[in-house]
Amino acid sequence: MIRRPLHLGALSADGFSIHRSGIRWLIQPGQFCRANQIFGYCNISLQPAGFRLTGDKSFAEETDLQVAFAPRAAGRINGAGAELGGYLSIQRDVCAWDADTVIAQLELEAEPESDVEGLRLLMLAGRRMTGLADVHSGLLPGWHGRTRGWWCDERTVPVSLLSLGICDATGVVLGEQCAFAEMFEAAGAPAQMIFVPDHPLAPAAPILLDQLDRKPAQFQAIADDMHRFLSDSAITPTADDWIFSGAMLTALQQSPIEDAYSLFTPSGTVRTGPADAILLSLSSEPQSLLRHKSLGYHAHIMRHHQSAAGPVFRAFLESAFETVKRSIDDIRLDYEKLLDRMHAVTGARALVINCMSTSGHEDISNYSSFDPPMSRTLSSIASKELNLVLHDIAERRDLSIIDVDAIAADLGGAEHLPDGIHQSGLLQVALRSEILHAMEDLRSAAQIK
Amino acid sequence: MIYAFRLPLINPHMSSARIECVYAEPGGALKNGSKLFDLGVDLSSAFAQECPPVSFFRVVLREPVFFRRLNADRGQLCQVGEQVALFSDKADACLDDAPVRDIRFAVAGIIHHEGMWTGRIA
Repeated sequence: MIRRPLHLGALSADGFSIHRSGIRWLIQPGQFCRANQIFGYCNISLQPAGFRLTGDKSFAEETDLQVAFAPRAAGRINGAGAELGGYLSIQRDVCAWDADTVIAQLELEAEPESDVEGLRLLMLAGRRMTGLADVHSGLLPGWHGRTRGWWCDERTVPVSLLSLGICDATGVVLGEQCAFAEMFEAAGAPAQMIFVPDHPLAPAAPILLDQLDRKPAQFQAIADDMHRFLSDSAITPTADDWIFSGAMLTALQQSPIEDAYSLFTPSGTVRTGPADAILLSLSSEPQSLLRHKSLGYHAHIMRHHQSAAGPVFRAFLESAFETVKRSIDDIRLDYEKLLDRMHAVTGARALVINCMSTSGHEDISNYSSFDPPMSRTLSSIASKELNLVLHDIAERRDLSIIDVDAIAADLGGAEHLPDGIHQSGLLQVALRSEILHAMEDLRSAAQIK
Repeated sequence: MIYAFRLPLINPHMSSARIECVYAEPGGALKNGSKLFDLGVDLSSAFAQECPPVSFFRVVLREPVFFRRLNADRGQLCQVGEQVALFSDKADACLDDAPVRDIRFAVAGIIHHEGMWTGRIA
């Protein structure tokens, strides 16, 4: 048995000292860990050098900063658990980051081929939907409008993937601990994963296009209109109305596709441009969505999220918006516009999870019962037509199809995709592999921007 | 002869379904291919998910029958196996007789639409 100490290793942000909490463990002492499997983490804060103030222009909006630890080689982790505990494992400024601190021992079966004493550090950053969402439970806890993670490796440029999908992307990207752990374990190579949730606005193409094109004055008009409706309402808005409208304004004001990022590395802060790849869900393209009657912006709020709005905000959606029907061809045009705009603004590649187009839960023997166009009614036909549209688009644009339709059929849809959208763990593993494969050739092109 | 429509097990993980739409009125004759019901199947009790896994299905007749009685209201949650409606081969067949079999029907997965009980906003 060979034993190696696991050092925290270097971590640096230009102009700041990094402080950390005590360590919280995700494993039991002596537990076997795979290479790149995170086994513990701590909270961190950035403090301007020479001062004891928190906050920084680069990370000002990301109030949740954490570092998770993974071994560079597989082995048993011993020594885990000898920490301060209690609030001292939560507070971000308990001690300064010290690269030489040994937090555990790695027990290996054989002499390692390379240095394994420096931990592999997975940085995690969350931009809260509200500063009140101050939650301390686990990895990336609380309510975030955007979360991200990246391997903190020296002299490497991570390829960035921004997930703008719905449930069929969420589980694949975030994983079961909601901190990208499975994705980063699968990735191995330097990568940054960014996740934007599908609430309150679901990321249909018209919504993303609006975000790309919206000017500050247009946003102000939206905010004024919303304020006017809530203020003039005959009934008093509830807490749910205010919270929902605040979340809506937050989403309407942002354009995640254009976000640039700061990254800690062992030797300082690196600034990168917008994401190299955008992960979209074809399933998030509805055949009807809302359009504001006078201001023209779009809204698509999934049904299970609509119930979070109070009565006044729901009345706002019903009276200030009209329902716009979209044919399959309309969806194709919206997608093409979005991809062209994305290409022009950031050059990002689109990775699109297609739709599961077969179901073992139906037994149609005669289609004459269904009025044309059947894609208006039958979900399997709509999915097939959308999938075909995606292939047409991919012939002319930089788009990679993540073919859940084929993979789920291969693994067994009834078992691994029972409702057509939420995958099993095994299917998520397969989709992660497809996504990482589709990002492979972006790696050589990635540059620090 | 009396035929029954009992809520079918569309998905092995489901235990119930909501009657989203009812397309026919009791008392009328229905043709082969007629729409009967739209059903909403919510699997959230079977799976812990980011969002409730709700699917929608349309039940379509595969034989001509007379629609005789509806035992459930629109919006009602029915259990698998529950008798939702009764049909007959003749307009005046006695409903006191026990159903001889289930009606013949097809099930199709459908897209949510504005006429459904579940959800009012696009």
